[in-house]
Amino acid sequence: MKSIILIIISATLVLAACQDSRKLTPAPETIFDDQGLHVITSFHNARTHTISVLYGNDDALAHAREERAAHTSGEATPGEATPGVVFKLVTWDLKQNPLWFGSNINGGLRSVETVTVSTGGSGPAIDYAIRHSRQKRDENAATSKAERISFIFAQQASVFP
Amino acid sequence: MSSSARIQFPTTAPNPTFEKKQTAMKTLKHHTFRNIAAVLAGIFFTSFVVLQVNSPEIENPPVTSEFHGPEEVTRILKRSCYDCHSNETNLRWYDKVAPFSYKVAADVEEARKRFNFSEWDSIPKGEQEGKLWYIVNMIEAGRMPLPEYTATHPSAKVTPAELTVLKNYVTSISQKHYATGDTAKIVDKPKVANVPTSVIGIRYFDDYKNWKVISTTGRPDNGTSRIIYGNDIAVKALEENDILPWPDGAVIVKVVWNSQAPDADGNVKPGNFNNVQMMVRDAKKFAGTEGWGFARFGGLDLKPYGKTTAFATSCINCHQLAKGTGFVFDIPTKPAQR
Ligand code: HEC
Ligand code: HEC
Repeated sequence: MKSIILIIISATLVLAACQDSRKLTPAPETIFDDQGLHVITSFHNARTHTISVLYGNDDALAHAREERAAHTSGEATPGEATPGVVFKLVTWDLKQNPLWFGSNINGGLRSVETVTVSTGGSGPAIDYAIRHSRQKRDENAATSKAERISFIFAQQASVFP
Repeated sequence: MSSSARIQFPTTAPNPTFEKKQTAMKTLKHHTFRNIAAVLAGIFFTSFVVLQVNSPEIENPPVTSEFHGPEEVTRILKRSCYDCHSNETNLRWYDKVAPFSYKVAADVEEARKRFNFSEWDSIPKGEQEGKLWYIVNMIEAGRMPLPEYTATHPSAKVTPAELTVLKNYVTSISQKHYATGDTAKIVDKPKVANVPTSVIGIRYFDDYKNWKVISTTGRPDNGTSRIIYGNDIAVKALEENDILPWPDGAVIVKVVWNSQAPDADGNVKPGNFNNVQMMVRDAKKFAGTEGWGFARFGGLDLKPYGKTTAFATSCINCHQLAKGTGFVFDIPTKPAQR
């Protein structure tokens, strides 16, 4: 009896709590195709309003693990940039999650930076390239290039279970 | 109250008028209708009276450990939430009239079970902050106070300005709490020997490390950073906008780290591993939780969360806020075209 009453009452009270800002549709175009690279680490930045995931191949992951070991133990020294290493740093806009105040989530794709190490004439040669997804320009300013390479090489692998 | 106040109505007794005029079809019809109308009116009246008599009473148990916050915050919560989520329920006369009183009593009972501002310390200290964010988000989503309640109690509505007060309050608490970030030395223990299984029947697995990242999040609300992976079925569902509902077999895995304090350039990097959470789609098997199986494994020893399968109910209760995206919060989205 009680439950029937509840059902009837609930059914008659039509609640229209529709909020348009919560009407969303998937944006799969922001999903990065890693082509088999590993996730190495991630970070976000409230000043630049960006969020990034660093990907890499086996050699890159090994390097980032050594970086972490060097930091936590203070003993081991991180390995050299060995030929074969490939890093890809993917950066998205950072936006508030429309479904949860308090969480920030990636928005549209901003850039993909690629660092590759190959065998050069006198030791390993490091190549850096950046692809912007919106502004149609290829940035290659020498100063920022060196900075970005050392930034990427300094990243420590996140601990996974 | 006693049931002697019930009014007896002879719904099954033979009707003499009916028997006498059996031959006249027209009259018969006419009378039948009148009788049915009378019977129905009687049933309604009786039910109404019975309902009043049996109408539930709401008691106010003592206030044991009241929520304390800034005055401007407690004022909003008292006015808008305390009728249900406290032991200081103050109902209007129309809340006590059946049949409404039944719904009101059920709501108060359920609301107090979920959390009670009069017994705030019954929520573990560590979870109180999370509950406050939950509160803010339920208001923002228009789910609280219950819309059917604000329909009859319009003054209980939380205004946008008041919501801002509450948002600033929770933000300031968490900013203070997580200002230093995770400063502990980062631990990387060897892998667990036995693969743990959640009571819900979901076993931990490593496959997700080869899946696509569908999103990544930073949460100032609880000082964590996350990466969210989707299996092929989940990614395809996103690509084809086929998430209402998500197809069976879709799996979403979220890996959570404690955030470090921002570095000199403002980068917030992950510190220690915190937990991994899974959502496995099987509409039949997990029908009780909207078709999603939930599992959570905490710490590097991957301790399964939840002693009984009931824990998953608390997961889906909150994930109801993401109903419009098939109960999943962390997918890449854009505003829907209208
Ligand atoms: C008319 C009664 C009523 C009022 C008033 C009310 N609530 Fe609720 N609340 C409920 C009920 C019933 C539930 C459980 C069912 C549901 O989620 O709809 C609930 C659930 C919740 C939950 C989920 C808790 C959990 O652990 O699952 C939150 C958070 C919440 N309410 C916040 C609020 C806030 C904040 C206010 C005031 C702004 C408020 N409620 C006012 C009845 C009420
Ligand atoms: C108080 C609200 C709340 C509760 C309770 C809750 N979640 Fe969530 N969950 C969220 C929010 C908000 C997000 C998205 C933000 C984030 O984590 O980055 C999320 C995200 C997730 C995700 C990633 C996919 C998605 O929906 O975005 C998984 C998996 C998940 N939660 C599992 C669980 C499990 C398992 C439980 C129960 C043990 C649980 N959740 C309980 C709020 C909640």
